[in-house]
Amino acid sequence: MMITGRAVLAPAGDADATPLYDDLPAHSAPVLAGFSVRERLGRKGTSTFDRATALAVVACGEALRDAGVDLTTVDPARVGLVLGTTVGSLASTMDFSRETLVQDKPYLVNPMQFPNTVMNCAAGQSAIWYGLRGVNATVAGGPIAFLQAMRYAVRAIEKSQADTVLVGAVEEFTPHTAWSSALSGTVAAGEAATVFVLRRAVTGMAEVLATAAGFTPADGPGALPGCVRRALAQAGASPEQVWAMATGDHLDDGEAGAVEAALGRRPLDLSPRARYGDCGAAAGGLALAAVLDRRADAPADAVAVVTGRARDGAVAAAVIRTVPE
Amino acid sequence: MAGLTLRARVVVTGLGPVSSIGIGVTAFRAALREGRSGISPIESFDAEGFPYRDAGEVKDFRPETYLTRLSPAAWGRSAQLAAAAARLAAADAGLPDDACADAGVVIGTTSGESQVVESLVAQQVAGGFAAMDPGTLRQFPAERLAAGVATELGLAGEVLTLATACSASNYAVGYAFDCVARGDADLMFAGGADSVCRWAQAGFHRLGALTESACRPFDKGRAGIITGEGGAVLLLENADHARARGARVYAEVLGYGVNCDARHMVAPDEDSIAACMRLAHQDADVKPDEIDYICAHGTGTPANDLVEARAVRQVFGERIPPVSSIKSMLGHTMGAASGFGAIATTLAIADGFLPPTINWTTQDDELPWIDPVPNVARPATVRIAQNDGFAFGGNNAITVFGAAR
Repeated sequence: MMITGRAVLAPAGDADATPLYDDLPAHSAPVLAGFSVRERLGRKGTSTFDRATALAVVACGEALRDAGVDLTTVDPARVGLVLGTTVGSLASTMDFSRETLVQDKPYLVNPMQFPNTVMNCAAGQSAIWYGLRGVNATVAGGPIAFLQAMRYAVRAIEKSQADTVLVGAVEEFTPHTAWSSALSGTVAAGEAATVFVLRRAVTGMAEVLATAAGFTPADGPGALPGCVRRALAQAGASPEQVWAMATGDHLDDGEAGAVEAALGRRPLDLSPRARYGDCGAAAGGLALAAVLDRRADAPADAVAVVTGRARDGAVAAAVIRTVPE
Repeated sequence: MAGLTLRARVVVTGLGPVSSIGIGVTAFRAALREGRSGISPIESFDAEGFPYRDAGEVKDFRPETYLTRLSPAAWGRSAQLAAAAARLAAADAGLPDDACADAGVVIGTTSGESQVVESLVAQQVAGGFAAMDPGTLRQFPAERLAAGVATELGLAGEVLTLATACSASNYAVGYAFDCVARGDADLMFAGGADSVCRWAQAGFHRLGALTESACRPFDKGRAGIITGEGGAVLLLENADHARARGARVYAEVLGYGVNCDARHMVAPDEDSIAACMRLAHQDADVKPDEIDYICAHGTGTPANDLVEARAVRQVFGERIPPVSSIKSMLGHTMGAASGFGAIATTLAIADGFLPPTINWTTQDDELPWIDPVPNVARPATVRIAQNDGFAFGGNNAITVFGAAR
């Protein structure tokens, strides 16, 4: 399965977030400060988009262009989309629910905003925008959502549910996520949209050789080493062939340690860590992008491992073989 | 998969409904047979000021009765509903606790931990964002629905939450079906969960999609949905694995189809739904005239039921099997809806009856070809049946079940 195109919308670093929002725990944050859906897509049809949906629609378009997919010449029923998320747009949901408490009558909500409260809003709107009528799924996996989406997309193509699948994850920055991170004592909330185009092809940026998933309860020993070993076995790759890894961890090195435990050594570590803040579901996409950015350095026949783990114990891994540029 | 590799047969060996009409398969089956309504005045939030104040709440749900590992204080209501449903499915399948270790779980949802999010909203309204409680924040991610099941049952397999709104359980059953059919797992728990919440009550009301107290799908006077909740989980098992352990088999999962309207976020699309039915039939390798029963999406809104009925006619032609909606009894349980549909479909096959559409009084002249199994369950031989699920975002998913062989 080949990655034939990609789009990464991610902040270059911290920026002044106060032009975007008033009520923030810190003025400076890893936000896409200059992002404007109107500039990117125009006013028509975008006025009800929340930020997560806007980021997803823009990233899907960039990925399709990057892959050279011409939607006028392919059967739209054979093009799918799988997006990862944590809860969709927390801001859309909380603000909509808030209206039921603060309005004179609890039902005086804006019905135009109601679709934004469902977690598949970004995937649904992206499908409408580009006319993607194949398999369309939203994976709510938090930190491992992107890798779960990749696994879903690979299977959809293997099952012949689609020929081409856009696979990605999106997370928005809003006061809701910023405060959530600040109050939880985790890395500051960031935002990113990462979308890749996946299809059977002989040329492209990288091949997805295998994906694997597993679970142990959060207080258990951790399922990631076994998950990485299963993914490598499925890919037919030995631990010695792993030249690089990219984890979803932000601060601690737990995932890198788990990869090391699986391989018996520590390969080149390309993990983005806290560079973009906590981008939630998009973390895995940023990790994959970090591997693709360095593909000129990949030895022949070598593979890279991309990993993620969620707080409650779910883990996922993908084995990637990059294609020389 | 068709044409690529041989796929293993997948059977249903355990059912776990946690619903407003009964908890556990015995109570749920009896309720379907007698056409019981689970609709009652809302108690889970203060419904003062809402014009319509009924919902399908699971008022008898006492999580501590079912959950041995999950602490109700640390997990939201939707995760508790999912975990209790999975616990019931495992027990129904006669699986000892230690036999589940390699199993995985896929849970579908519309609104995830909606009641947790609404607690955060109440905190924020009272004291600003800074007043949000870290313990509550820990509980809002939707991934915790599947993680709650895995924690409760001690699973080590794939753990996935799918958030494709009101067809999400069918997505979950489809994904789990593939996992077992491909040979990745022998046992997969699949279904969905959602909780009643203020924002859904308000949103559906403002869309004009809510009815007052009786949901009447396919009836001329149908006026909308009633919101509902619950957890619905099926245990999907490799058929050889089930036979080897002497498990009772309810039915076989034959296949599924998924597609996307890509036209409108909330309005259903006849041609796209018809296409989804054809995809499901193709994957299950069945023809329309082999299908004996359709467990409808059947929300009870004027638009959904008309579009679904027309799609059925488009695909089935002159021979249209009975089409009933259990949402008449449960209300719309959102992400759990097609999970309850899958359980009802499985029971229809295993026990030889068609669940009724209750509250039905008047034929709709716009869809005379629909036999909604009005009000009273009907004995029937059901060899193959389909279970419809449609959703906001145009996410259609249809599963197909067949009699155990």
